[in-house]
Amino acid sequence: MSHSVLVCDDAIFMRTMISDILSQAGYEVVGEAETGLQAVEKYKELKPDLVTMDIVMPDMGGIDAVREIVAHDPDACILMCSAMGQQALVVEAIQAGAKDFVVKPFQPSRVLEAVQRVLG
Amino acid sequence: MDLSQYAELFLAETREHLGAINQQLLEWERVPEAGEPVGGIFRAVHTIKGMAATMGYADVTDLAHRMENLLDILRSGEHEVNDKVFELLFQAADALEKVVESSVSGRELDADTSGVLAQLDATCQSLVPAAKPAPPPVARSVVPPQVAGKWVHVVIDPGAALKGARAAVVLKRMEQLGQVNTVQPPATVLETEDFDGEFGLRIETSADDNVIEEQIRTAGDIAEVNIGEVVGGGVVERSEARTRHIRVDLRRVDAMMNLVGELMTTKDRLAQLSAGRGDPPLDDVSLKMSHLTAQLQSEILDARMTPVWQVFDRFPRLVRDLSKQLGKVVEFKVEGKEIELDRAILDEIGDPLVHLLRNAIDHGIEPVAERVAAGKTPSGHIVLSAERERATVVIHVSDDGRGIDRAKLLADAKRTGMLDEDVDVLSNELLLRVLSRPGFSTAAAVSSVSGRGVGIDAVATSLRTLGGGLEVRSVAGEGTTFSLRLPITLAIVRALTAEVGAERYLLPVTHVAETVDLSEETTTSLEGKDAMLYRGEMIPLLDLRKVVLLPGEGHGRRPVVVLQIGERRSGLVVDALAGQQEIVVKPFDPPRGTLPIFSGATVLGDGSPALILDTGGLV
Repeated sequence: MSHSVLVCDDAIFMRTMISDILSQAGYEVVGEAETGLQAVEKYKELKPDLVTMDIVMPDMGGIDAVREIVAHDPDACILMCSAMGQQALVVEAIQAGAKDFVVKPFQPSRVLEAVQRVLG
Repeated sequence: MDLSQYAELFLAETREHLGAINQQLLEWERVPEAGEPVGGIFRAVHTIKGMAATMGYADVTDLAHRMENLLDILRSGEHEVNDKVFELLFQAADALEKVVESSVSGRELDADTSGVLAQLDATCQSLVPAAKPAPPPVARSVVPPQVAGKWVHVVIDPGAALKGARAAVVLKRMEQLGQVNTVQPPATVLETEDFDGEFGLRIETSADDNVIEEQIRTAGDIAEVNIGEVVGGGVVERSEARTRHIRVDLRRVDAMMNLVGELMTTKDRLAQLSAGRGDPPLDDVSLKMSHLTAQLQSEILDARMTPVWQVFDRFPRLVRDLSKQLGKVVEFKVEGKEIELDRAILDEIGDPLVHLLRNAIDHGIEPVAERVAAGKTPSGHIVLSAERERATVVIHVSDDGRGIDRAKLLADAKRTGMLDEDVDVLSNELLLRVLSRPGFSTAAAVSSVSGRGVGIDAVATSLRTLGGGLEVRSVAGEGTTFSLRLPITLAIVRALTAEVGAERYLLPVTHVAETVDLSEETTTSLEGKDAMLYRGEMIPLLDLRKVVLLPGEGHGRRPVVVLQIGERRSGLVVDALAGQQEIVVKPFDPPRGTLPIFSGATVLGDGSPALILDTGGLV
């Protein structure tokens, strides 16, 4: 069975792109979230194998969403999606429990490598 | 293992850290609530301690250790850091420098550091009475710790984005394997963009080295992993850390430069020989040779280039100490630190800049009361800046002090007969001439800092030797700026080839403003000397034939090379100009009786030697 993924980003463009990269590689995108709050709710509902998480989102940012999700499920596999220059935030997210990160602009190969690393 | 071969490297690297310590102490003193400087100082002291322990310099290790104790308490941010503590830290930094120098040279220490040591400990005690000062590290290096950990050194792929975040992933993974005790640089640095992608951590774990390495490598973007056992305070790494730089004796670079000079001459000779032959393969070789020589030359010139901060970085401390000593309040700013100069030039400008900075603090900046009365900010400002300007680098030392009292100087100069009675305005150019008269001083009394009358004279002389020039601008009540104009390199200069009769001389373009034709309409005579009208101004004319004592007169349309230093100009009349070229300046050891008007020699493309005129001296 292929791994299930929840894609969280407030931009449709980014969600579409990430979903395309992952589906083409055989992952199953089971849900999308536009805010941190939605991300937490959908995680509890869908129990995905992997979450891709944007850092800056309205209604609870990505880092707080990571904290909530990890509090709920310590084994959650979360991959941060960051822009250049967000070093401190990414470090914070990793300390909060995110497993890895990818940097925008995304190259499909880098995203898939990171996903494979996280899913081990 | 013979450690003596590392002593020089230890000294060089320790000096860099000492420089950083002083600089960050200054920053910290300015903004005592800032957290970053103390972290940086702590790291630098810590690094020195580690290196000194490896070298077996017990005195250095001991002092650094005690400094580290105090800094460790201070970096918690829970204690207010007062002037007394700053003063102690400055003293400790000075003591550390002395102990380092004496340890490396093997000389007796000429300063007593016991006072500083005792004060460091006493200050620690007073801040944290409960805390026993940690035992000196000497004991640590003798008795290995019971729990041996592993030291892991990780290099992140240089092309990776957000290296700090990548390091955080690695740390997170390591924390799953065991207890991570020390991270170097500290985790807070990883969050900044300064982090270069190399870090080390100490971990106590039962995991196998292979497992550790596997966990790190699978974190992504990892270029290198080295795992070593921690033995005592030091670390035995399994493999050598990568080095990206090597230190090369400047004499070697000089030797290379000289050889490239020979090569250039040979290349020109080849070009001349091949030119008339109509032999295309030979022309190709000659052209290729010419490109390669030019590339080689530019590589070696680049290798000689050094950023000015290597000299500038010691000045904030100097300005601080001097202004305290003289009771002045000065804010000091450095700009253009990244500008590069030939190492040989950089080595020479330190002392002139110290002179000018001392002058600015002592004579320029007024006492606070005087400033306030004049409606100025209470603290004076001194700016040291470097900038590129065409083929030169200009360094300015500016203060917003009282400016130079021209009326008084003018009166003094007239009284001593240096200037004629009919001069009624002291222009910037005359001002510089008066200031740089040997033995001149504006100071009413000689202070320990300046006023001995060796200042500007010495500065002007050293700049002349370097083929540069000094300029001054001063406005009463607003301040004074001294500008040092320097060639970027000493090894190669662009020069005009001037001909008189059958002789050729080279004129470095540093002081050449432009070349014009000599015409009868513009030539005249001023006080019995030849002069010419140049841009609405009378400038004195010199004939190169007379300068080099060549008999005979020049004929026809003769060109004039206008030389300029600051606002001072003069025209040099020559028979003909034969274009510009880059010449390699050769060391010049003139035989007795040579006219004192040459600054060096070179070899021209056709293999004939030629002398380089000291154009600065002709103005």
